[in-house]
Amino acid sequence: MGHAFAKFDAEGWNCKKCGRPLTPCSVNVEYMGSSFFVELPGCQECGFILIDDELALGRMLEVEKLLEDK
Amino acid sequence: MEELTLRKFESYCTQEDPPACQCRCPVHVEAGQMLAKLASGAVDEARKILERYLPLASLTAFLCDGACLEKCLRANLDQSVNIPLLEREIIVNGRATRLYPLPPTSKRVALIGAGLSALTAAYELARRGHKVEIFHLSTPGGTLNSLAEDKLPPQALVEAIDLLESLNTDFNQVQSFEPQWFEKLKKEFGAIFLSLDDPDLLPQSLGLNGELIVDPVSMALKDSNDYLFACELTQSYPMSNLISSGKKVAASIDRILQGANLTAARENEAVRESKLRVNLTGRKVIAPIVPSNSGVYTTQEAQAEADRCLNCSCLACVPPCPLLRSRKGFYPKKWTREFYNNIITAFGIRHSNININSCSLCGLCSSLCPNGFNMSEFIDLAKLDMVVTNHMPVSAHEFALEDQLFSNSKPAYFLRPQKGFKSSAALFFPGCQLTASLPKAVRDLYKYLAANFEGGLGLWSACCGAPGRWSGRRKFTDSTISLLRTDWEAAGKPEVVLACPSCRRFFLSEIPFIPIRSLWSLINSLPLPSSAQPFSGELSIHDPCAARLDTEGQEAVRAILSKLGQKIIEPTFTKTTTLCCGYGGLASLANPVIGQQFVLERLQSTTEPIVGWCAVCRDRFKEQQHPALHPLELLFPQLSPKEAMEQKPPTISDRRYNRAAFAKEMLKDIWEEEIEEEKTMNLKIEISDKVMDDMERRRILISDVTAVLEYTEVNGPMFLNPESGRQIACFRPRQVTFWVEYEKKDDLYIVTKAWSHRMILKSAPGPSLDSPATLEGYARSGGRV
Repeated sequence: MGHAFAKFDAEGWNCKKCGRPLTPCSVNVEYMGSSFFVELPGCQECGFILIDDELALGRMLEVEKLLEDK
Repeated sequence: MEELTLRKFESYCTQEDPPACQCRCPVHVEAGQMLAKLASGAVDEARKILERYLPLASLTAFLCDGACLEKCLRANLDQSVNIPLLEREIIVNGRATRLYPLPPTSKRVALIGAGLSALTAAYELARRGHKVEIFHLSTPGGTLNSLAEDKLPPQALVEAIDLLESLNTDFNQVQSFEPQWFEKLKKEFGAIFLSLDDPDLLPQSLGLNGELIVDPVSMALKDSNDYLFACELTQSYPMSNLISSGKKVAASIDRILQGANLTAARENEAVRESKLRVNLTGRKVIAPIVPSNSGVYTTQEAQAEADRCLNCSCLACVPPCPLLRSRKGFYPKKWTREFYNNIITAFGIRHSNININSCSLCGLCSSLCPNGFNMSEFIDLAKLDMVVTNHMPVSAHEFALEDQLFSNSKPAYFLRPQKGFKSSAALFFPGCQLTASLPKAVRDLYKYLAANFEGGLGLWSACCGAPGRWSGRRKFTDSTISLLRTDWEAAGKPEVVLACPSCRRFFLSEIPFIPIRSLWSLINSLPLPSSAQPFSGELSIHDPCAARLDTEGQEAVRAILSKLGQKIIEPTFTKTTTLCCGYGGLASLANPVIGQQFVLERLQSTTEPIVGWCAVCRDRFKEQQHPALHPLELLFPQLSPKEAMEQKPPTISDRRYNRAAFAKEMLKDIWEEEIEEEKTMNLKIEISDKVMDDMERRRILISDVTAVLEYTEVNGPMFLNPESGRQIACFRPRQVTFWVEYEKKDDLYIVTKAWSHRMILKSAPGPSLDSPATLEGYARSGGRV
């Protein structure tokens, strides 16, 4: 599960606040009582994490459903 | 759920009971499967099936007296399939299956007499590894030796005896049967069988002088201490009874030798009536094939005759239901087992959650099943169980539950007596979906009803609570019922006039203490409204699944349309067998793919525009670009029928807006009450049709997008793409995080994408990622926090 979302594709997107490009950040994700770390694009400075539509409606949705059926 | 509950539901489905021919056959040959193989040319496979049931088939297939013929259902159409003759064909042309006897045991069994029952018993016992010794006076076979050649080819008996000898069976010819010899035999063998169908064997010769009584299940002789067995004792000794006697005796002796119970779980060995229900409607008459070659089929003739087999099965409910037919070889009994196993799963993934939530609770299976099996009742129990044990996927029904809360909270909910009346003789309850789909027609309808009603007709705008019930949430449903009950009692406990078939079903089962009346019967009793106009062409009438058993409503709607001069045609599946649009049970919400199959199934056979008396059905037909109308659009038209049927259906956002707008307008126009406007930032937001379509599929409301943008207006966006100038922001107002990608031109937000997820990013700072509002609070506020 640790690398469930190990996909980094935030090309062209910067943090609005500090202007930095997004880099891989380790993030703690939680759902239905399960918690795990994944790497997601985000701003190292501000801590904002970007979950794009492809990830949210693809792999992340699959894992959500899996956890709901557990 | 208790296992007993499962068994009760399983017992309604007769699909697994063998067909009538198999139940009547003394050895229960699976004739349907055998003939299917033969018809397809796989004669070796057919023989394999025959040999599985018929002991010593190379001999006994010639002796079958066709007890099944009297039960073959094809006799009701033309003439029974000639199974006995086809069995001969299979034995003559099919290759014998290689035998794999069990390893030899140390047990010895004596068979006295060598009639047909002894030969079949010997075969079954020898295959199980027991040493069989047959004692006989003359040539083995008894009466078989005197059969005519055309009845039994002489080599069949010879070959059968050779086969038995190769299977650890000894044929011992003795000079005579005597009591002392018999007593000696009793001491030597584990069990003894008397083949009384051998004319050489008289019980008296063994010293058995009293009346012999044989147990019909085990074939054990009474008072023999389960040691002596005999074949069925009848005058005529029908061949097939002797064959089954041998088989039953072998099973009994094997049980005795292994120390097992002699009679337990043997009820299905007896000849019995089949419970399988078979619908012969639409089955073709096919004349029986007459053998061209002196009573023997050619290969082609045998295949053609085998092909006449109806392959009896029930499956009455399976083909029209997208859920029941979604897994090959499944029928209600298998589905209920699957669902039961799913809900008792202790560890691991509950794979069938999605299937349980895909039942539309439409009750079609119950209407089609000869035994009245009702999947919706089973699903109802399964869902309650899933919720109680906290195993109901939260995302499956959440949107509908929020919708229900929205309908029963301030912006949409109200109950008022008729203007000018202090109390109500009755309350009109349009239901949340009708005010969401046709608010203006409901307004005109109420004015028309109120003008024609004695004693005051109040208006009650609410959701009955059906969505909560469909989702299996008992407590949630009870709180809705409590709200409705309190307000109904305060209104003086009047009768409630219901427009929506789902409300009607819900009131009947969940709020039975509230007296109800059908809107359609009421309209039918009044003069038609002056605004009423028919559509110039024919309309296919659609009964909602919730009104499957509401004959009063069905007839009233047809009577109203008839008075209006509207030409209607009945679809193939109508009234009690009407097809569901897929919304029922929230199936389309939990599983949009199957939801679409439901609606397409209904539309498949209909080319005409549809008139359906459920607002959701109408909208779901429109979503598939099929023109559809609600009867209220003919009675209280806002557009011409042609324009109305082709108008796009309301989006999920429109539906909430319409409910709130209906309440606001009615309270202002009729009751002269001003509703306080909600405070919003009044952001200028532009959403293209394409983005709206995506939001519709993803169940994202305009108010969700607005919530993100209002948050952004205060806190600033999170991400920027310098090249495109687009920005991204997110906000988690409840159990869902919403993301919006947009361009900002001056003060205008142009939304380019919207998506959502339910997972929580715990370590991410920025916008509040923990829900700041309860689901209920969020919904009641119309999506604003």
